[in-house]
Amino acid sequence: MRVIRISLVLFLFLILTILLSLLFGTADVTIAQLWGILTGDTDVKEMTKIIVFNIRFPRIIAAGLAGFSLSLGGLVFQAILRNPLADPFILGVSSGGAFGAVLGIMFGFSFNLGIPLLSFAGAMLTIYLVSVMGQRKMGMESSTILLAGVIINAFFTAIIMFFISTAVDDRLHTMLFWLYGDLSQSAYVQFAIMAPIVVAAFIILYSLSRHLNLITAGEETARQLGVDTKKTKMTCFLVVSLVIGLVVSFSGLIGFVGLIIPHLGRMVLGSDHRLLIPVSALGGAVFLIAADTVARTIISPSELPVGVITAFIGAPFFIYLLKTRGSKWNRS
Amino acid sequence: MEPVLSLKKVGFRYDSLWAIRDLDLGVKPGELLAVLGPNGSGKSTLLKVVDGILTPQEGEVLLKDRPVSRYTRSDLAKEVAMVAQETHFYFSFSALEVVLMGRFPRLGRFQFESERDMEAASRALKATHCLHLAERPIHELSGGEKQRVLLARALAQEPTVILLDEPTSFLDLRYKKEIFDLISSLTHERGLSVMVVSHDIDLASQYSDQMVMLKDGRVYSTGAPDKVITASNIQAVYECPVIVDKNPVLGSPRVSLV
Repeated sequence: MRVIRISLVLFLFLILTILLSLLFGTADVTIAQLWGILTGDTDVKEMTKIIVFNIRFPRIIAAGLAGFSLSLGGLVFQAILRNPLADPFILGVSSGGAFGAVLGIMFGFSFNLGIPLLSFAGAMLTIYLVSVMGQRKMGMESSTILLAGVIINAFFTAIIMFFISTAVDDRLHTMLFWLYGDLSQSAYVQFAIMAPIVVAAFIILYSLSRHLNLITAGEETARQLGVDTKKTKMTCFLVVSLVIGLVVSFSGLIGFVGLIIPHLGRMVLGSDHRLLIPVSALGGAVFLIAADTVARTIISPSELPVGVITAFIGAPFFIYLLKTRGSKWNRS
Repeated sequence: MEPVLSLKKVGFRYDSLWAIRDLDLGVKPGELLAVLGPNGSGKSTLLKVVDGILTPQEGEVLLKDRPVSRYTRSDLAKEVAMVAQETHFYFSFSALEVVLMGRFPRLGRFQFESERDMEAASRALKATHCLHLAERPIHELSGGEKQRVLLARALAQEPTVILLDEPTSFLDLRYKKEIFDLISSLTHERGLSVMVVSHDIDLASQYSDQMVMLKDGRVYSTGAPDKVITASNIQAVYECPVIVDKNPVLGSPRVSLV
């Protein structure tokens, strides 16, 4: 079947990206060395092994999981809000999560439990606020939703800035770096929390893919054809907030992934979410791993937060979408 | 023949205001029922009640002798299809994908369309003369083509009842005729029960078998077109003076403003 074929190709592409990404970095790792490590050859230096397994690999996995989730989140938001410009970052959901996370840091909570939970709560609160503010008599208004997101984004950013300004210790750099999307602190324990949740989220969202198709064609129609639109939307909001909250608390604010990847998917494959969900998720993973590889090599030996790279690519892309698609998709 | 769809003393109110009340009507297989009435007379509410989107506070709607309220949403979608006045698509779907949406109630959660679903969709496209549009993006089609595709989606649901809410109000004369020709032939050839809300009295009286004229949410007059469309009925319901004569070719009632 088409979806399996395409997913398989993307999956192979993902493996390839991971392998390539393992090679690049401040320290040189040759293909021969990487092959040696992967096949269990004992001749490879201990230092190289540490670089590959303890530094690069966890970071790549973190990038992959974050890209997977952010892209999926963007796709699902675009569908249920029927707005091609929706994205967890633009709608303020990410900064809502970041607000929760900063609160967690202030309280000294654990990065493995308290902070992700608060981050999830912040993301959930934001999406609730955005949908209430964007609600009009005739359902959700496209531009109102975006404006609501922008305002909430600004509000939470201000609060975060306030916290950062008052926290005058050496954690300032860490916090700022984390805010702009930092994958360098990734650890295996985080994947143990994140991976099962992300996989579960994927399965739940995939099971709703035909519901999403109908909702993008209008809520009344969807209800008429047997979709429980309220339940579907609530499930999506909950599931996406959960994964976005996790991503934000582990990796900070990484914008635009949820905008770029789903749209590339749509340009090539159309609007069927049974295809778009796996394609966006895998594509998001590939994209963010690649972007993070650039982030940690481009000004080597220094590193950039990956959010800088995605914003560099994403912001012009957003403008392009606004100019070409923004109006077209609102009328037919 | 027994009606497939019947309403018994149905009333629905938004808050305290009754939008429809004491409605009794029935639609038999192979019958085209036109619903007329001025703006705010409860026509759209009536369709939503029949479709189970709104639940009436009084009376009941029976579909195949079973109250609509006892159907699950997807069982109802297998029996009743709706074509709206205007449908917006926010993302780009091909006409075929739009028609396949009509198969939603018949598919499981992780299921892809089977051969049978594809056949149903292409049969539906063929019936509405838009098989050639199958691969075209829906938002690139003309108003008339789009309504035909949406009619095909309704057919792909394989329903017994089709509801149409002013399906031709945004179309020009030629497409109006085309859609009504199509609706009429589908009704009579397939034995569907069709309810169409229309503002176009002349068209409705040309094509419908039965009519019901609503005023303030109640039935003012019902029966065959030539019984319902009289100058006195229209003056009373629409509150404007008209003369009614006959269409010189078809013999159906014709309304002219004076």
